[in-house]
Amino acid sequence: METNSSALYKAPSVSGYADVPYEEKVKFFQDVQADARFPDYIYGCYECGICVAACPSARFYDFSPRRVAQAIARQDVELIYQQVQEDIWECSQCFSCLRCPRGNNPGGLITIMREVSVNKGLGAAKEALEGYSRIIYKIMSTGTQVSPDMLQPDAFPDWGPEVKDVSDNLALWRKMLPPETHHTTSTGWDVADRTLIELYLIWFETGALNMIKEVDEGLHMILEEVMEERLEEEGIEI
Amino acid sequence: MSSDTVVVIGAGPAGLEAARGVAELGTNVVLVEKRDFLGGTPIAENYAALTPNYESAEEAMGKMIDRVQSNSLVKVLTSTTVTSCEGEAGDFHLAVTGPDGQNTIDAGAVIVATGFRHFDPGRETQMYGYYEHPDVVTLPDLEAMLKSGEVLRPSNGEVPQNICFVQCVGSRDRHIGNEYCSKVCCGIASKEAIELRRHIPDSKVFIFYIDMRMYGYWESQIYWPAQEQYNVQYVKGIITEVLKKGDKLLVRGEDTTMGRPMEVLMDMVVLSVGMEPSVGTREMAKVFGVKSNKYGFIESANPPLDTVSTSRSGIFACGSAMGPADLEDTVSSAGAAAMKSVAMLKARPSVTA
Repeated sequence: METNSSALYKAPSVSGYADVPYEEKVKFFQDVQADARFPDYIYGCYECGICVAACPSARFYDFSPRRVAQAIARQDVELIYQQVQEDIWECSQCFSCLRCPRGNNPGGLITIMREVSVNKGLGAAKEALEGYSRIIYKIMSTGTQVSPDMLQPDAFPDWGPEVKDVSDNLALWRKMLPPETHHTTSTGWDVADRTLIELYLIWFETGALNMIKEVDEGLHMILEEVMEERLEEEGIEI
Repeated sequence: MSSDTVVVIGAGPAGLEAARGVAELGTNVVLVEKRDFLGGTPIAENYAALTPNYESAEEAMGKMIDRVQSNSLVKVLTSTTVTSCEGEAGDFHLAVTGPDGQNTIDAGAVIVATGFRHFDPGRETQMYGYYEHPDVVTLPDLEAMLKSGEVLRPSNGEVPQNICFVQCVGSRDRHIGNEYCSKVCCGIASKEAIELRRHIPDSKVFIFYIDMRMYGYWESQIYWPAQEQYNVQYVKGIITEVLKKGDKLLVRGEDTTMGRPMEVLMDMVVLSVGMEPSVGTREMAKVFGVKSNKYGFIESANPPLDTVSTSRSGIFACGSAMGPADLEDTVSSAGAAAMKSVAMLKARPSVTA
């Protein structure tokens, strides 16, 4: 379809994001297409909506994995670029959409679109990841997920008022978790030295660390320092 | 006097298959064809490649014609029409008019295989401008282009870049009176869309549809390849009208799954016209006094398990004379009609006398 004719497409001025030349949008789609996983993630779309029916995010946001798959199947670069601004960040990457009868993987397409966005350092990626710099720092420096103690209102202002309720009774909430190791904030979250070294190496070697540079230079600097220092202690040169 | 001959009327895919079947069962056949050539609509309408296997229509029909013509039990009468029928099952007398003037043919049974015609999209309720805009064509028009090896915009001879198909033209429409689905147009349009994408690799091809109906194996033979290998774009939503804009065509519809009206410019619009009973089918229904349904197709007397008996004993019908049918259904019902007509003749003791 010709430029701007796709349904749901809103001009950047209306949607409120900075427009880029058409060629850049084409390039974005080409980068998504070039990903080795892409051919296995989209075949043809029946537009049947089974992915939306299965999608938890679709219940809470104006988000539709079908529309993402459709935009990709239709190679509608304008609409794809628009979806990169907001839609793709509303996916929780649970992959319930894998029940697609055609074997499509809308969640997987979103994974690729996010990676391309991060690699390109798009504003949307920076904005979407802004609230997560603490989590990224925690995961990449300690090798483990957010710990229950981090569930404080000031850490996650965007998580809404429920966070306050949870943070008031954290010790009690923890006791409700079946594994005993989760009853503390220490033992269950320990990462063995060997594992951590391995993770650091993986993040260096795969370029995962570099991806962060495009969206948060400061965080990248800190992480790089922490990792290099630790690896140096182990006698490993990067 | 009874007759041991089966008269088959119409020499398209159904009639050719019925005639071959009857003859191979050892019974005499007279094959009556109104046109001066055999092969029926696939030849008359310049079909290029058959659905779903892309076999050349001319070659496929040629093989059917050869099998009939090489059988000594088949007598072929072209440029001949049946004008009346008297008698009863086992003992019919058909008046025919042909190159040799009027004649009478005796028949024990008759198989009507007079087929369909393509819907005329210029009809009153249609707003697609078939007769106004040269670049609005039909499925058979595009077949003829594909057969000629050149697909060009009729208006200016240029290669079309943006092409769309509009489904259900003349089908599933209460205003037109054709409330039925024509069964084959989804598959044919998708097949032609694939051929267009092969023929014009940098083209964009869209199919605007109400629902895509490609039964059984057509799904994986045509529909999936069209989407997955040829990137044909299927958009659920039917075009309300086609307007001229500059040297392009503006098509207006709704992109229903995206939830918005759309207006897009096309170089060529292909109307997926449905099936209607042919003039011959309507005439033969009258000549033989067999019941037709309200659309003019000959009605099966004992549906759904007997697909070829009509309301008059000894008169059978098959193929698209009985309603929209693809080629597989057509030759299948032709075989059934051949079997039933021969079985009927053999069950009559007087036939051997």
